[in-house]
Amino acid sequence: MSLKAENLSRKYGSGLLGRGKCIFRDVSFELEPGKTFGLMGPSGEGKSTLGRIISGLESPTDGAVFFNGNPLSRMKKAEYTTFRRKVQMMFQDPTDAFNPRKRIKHSIFEVLNLLEISGTERIRCTKEILKTTGLPEEVLLRYPSQLSGGQLQRLALGRILLLDPEYIVLDEPTSALDVSVQAQILHLLKNVQAEQGISYLLISHDEAVIRFMSDSCGELENGQMDLIEV
Amino acid sequence: MMQEEAYIRERPRKWKDFLAHNLNLDIRKYKRNLKKLNRGGLFLFTFFLILALFPSLFAPYSPTERFIPYEAPSTAHLLGTNDIGNDILSELVYGARISLMVGFASASISTLIGLMIGLFSGYFRGTPDELLMGFTDVVLIIPKIPLIIILGAFLHPSIWILILVLGLLSWESIARVVRSKTLQIRETGYVKSARCMGFSSFHIMVSDIFPNLIHVLLPKFMLATASAMISEASLSFLGLGDISMKSWGIMLSFAFSRGGFIRDMWWWYLPPGICITLCVMFIALMGFGFEGREKENGKRGVDSE
Repeated sequence: MSLKAENLSRKYGSGLLGRGKCIFRDVSFELEPGKTFGLMGPSGEGKSTLGRIISGLESPTDGAVFFNGNPLSRMKKAEYTTFRRKVQMMFQDPTDAFNPRKRIKHSIFEVLNLLEISGTERIRCTKEILKTTGLPEEVLLRYPSQLSGGQLQRLALGRILLLDPEYIVLDEPTSALDVSVQAQILHLLKNVQAEQGISYLLISHDEAVIRFMSDSCGELENGQMDLIEV
Repeated sequence: MMQEEAYIRERPRKWKDFLAHNLNLDIRKYKRNLKKLNRGGLFLFTFFLILALFPSLFAPYSPTERFIPYEAPSTAHLLGTNDIGNDILSELVYGARISLMVGFASASISTLIGLMIGLFSGYFRGTPDELLMGFTDVVLIIPKIPLIIILGAFLHPSIWILILVLGLLSWESIARVVRSKTLQIRETGYVKSARCMGFSSFHIMVSDIFPNLIHVLLPKFMLATASAMISEASLSFLGLGDISMKSWGIMLSFAFSRGGFIRDMWWWYLPPGICITLCVMFIALMGFGFEGREKENGKRGVDSE
């Protein structure tokens, strides 16, 4: 499997006269299997937008994202379904990672229903998530507002892992957490990567986090991406 | 030291305190009173609802039974009788059912249409949003009552047509509110992750967005009910209602056209007027109550239970 971005550009507010602001242009990079690519840069430079484009939640103005050699915009339905399972995204704010009106178990079972997993297999998968994330079973009966940011972020990762992804876009996964919890989440991410060989695109403005996690790294500044040594 | 402490305590006085001290206007007390009013609204609305559901328990006679016409209030007929000798109290009790039914049915239609248009528009954005919101703006500027009068004049006056017309012409504000809330929810992490995981748009709208819209929809629904009841009363008063189903509006209309006002029979025209006012007020109070609770929830973060 491969995930590659080629000459991505994104413009906002192009309007009738086509004079919108170009956030970034000609951004190209490839995510290597089992490796982490760190993406840093100042606020407002389009790091999160780039993450959303890579995960298929937004379309680029120019350029394309290639999954297994096929551009996202011209994928057939079956290919797109595979892409949707294999490329996931984890968001910055853990407090809105789960629907506030559903218990955690419902949010997890929903994903298992999507994967058509039921019966004993469903229980096994749920237990496995709790084991990976190191959380007790009682969290399943709680609502998101009754859990801490760190617990929610662990569960968010656990839920993503149910889909058996190959690539995860991590959009500032620790910036809303305090330092000790940050370290726990980063170690959890590293362990999961070592066990399952997942590639990460780690977006962060914290250079220390990027250096700790990444194998290669790029900086998005003034609309261009420069590859830098880690 | 003591003075300084007093000063520190004094400092965080808010504008609410300022109003309370200087203008004798205590907002907090008003809020507490409003909460009581909401509860009162719910209680009294329940009374009207029971009246509408089981009219035979409260009405002394059947609304079609005839006695001596134009009778003044007496122990036999607490609110007297009308021009054809029907007991006015019984008419009033049975009228609650019609008025509330028109209110709730048309509010259900408008809420459903508003929900679907707003949800679709807010979720898909882009061209569907522009088209649907453009259409909503067009419906928004149509003067409702004159249009309903024209429709009522052309179509056979029936309560079902009235419900349909009122429902089909009052969904715009609901659609706008639902759209703006949907736009907000669409950008939350759980909707974005659901999209990323490959859930269908329909599933996301039904399972993730709709449950978070209920707090917005409920007050809107109550206010739409109140507004539909007023519209029904106005239209019935103008003679566009269904005379075979006597609502409070029709009772007022008959009191006006069949000598209730000329003979100064206050027991004929005042009770339906008071009932419409009270019922609409109670429903509106409940609506405001739900709206206030939604705002408080918004401040605290949504409380799941």
